[in-house]
Amino acid sequence: MKKRYWRCNICNDVHYGIAPPELCPTCQALNAYAEITADEARKFLGGGPDVTFTPADFRQAIERFTSGNEFMVNPDPGKVETLVEGIFENEKNHGFKYCPCRLRTKDWEEDLKLVCPCNFKIHETYRGLPNGECWCGLFVRRT
Amino acid sequence: MARLLMFHGRECPHCKKMMAVVEQLEKEMGIVFEKLEIWHDEKNADLMRSYKPVIAPKCGGQLRVPTFLNVDTSDVICGEVEPDKLKAWLEKK
Repeated sequence: MKKRYWRCNICNDVHYGIAPPELCPTCQALNAYAEITADEARKFLGGGPDVTFTPADFRQAIERFTSGNEFMVNPDPGKVETLVEGIFENEKNHGFKYCPCRLRTKDWEEDLKLVCPCNFKIHETYRGLPNGECWCGLFVRRT
Repeated sequence: MARLLMFHGRECPHCKKMMAVVEQLEKEMGIVFEKLEIWHDEKNADLMRSYKPVIAPKCGGQLRVPTFLNVDTSDVICGEVEPDKLKAWLEKK
């Protein structure tokens, strides 16, 4: 099924998915999402205050993302620094935080699978392996 | 001499590690890899994309780096591998 855009009519949160959330995660309103166009979504998302998101912010974000999960950020700080640098270079040069250890195909939908953090739990480098990690090694199974 | 390509990314830690291995094997075996960076050079990226039918089936269905390709035999090996494994791959006819 194709994903579409949805907007909370109370707080203007925008959701992208095959169905809207029942409960708005921001304002807790129930059944508040109505479908909008991609163009409207871009306007809502682009109209907010500019937020500077630095590599340090990204590192905090991925630490929060991994907390409580079976995986963690790689404990090797040098590796993480190199990867985060590449992720930000790719965002600057190619529009998204693409994985520095794979190559985009130029197929927009396909390349969304390369945006960090990707769905690495299904990859053969992680799934079922006691020392599994994502392809680039930014995320490793928690030991 | 076979045409050997190494696709790599500037900010890929596995590529950095394999680059040292490759340079050592080049000295040891008298071979030469064409080292092609794919995130900052679109021509190299397009070249790698052109080999997708050869590379992807052996690399989890994707284009990943580092990837080593023997153009003459279409043989591929990808990822951070032990030096002996890469050497054995190079010695294959």
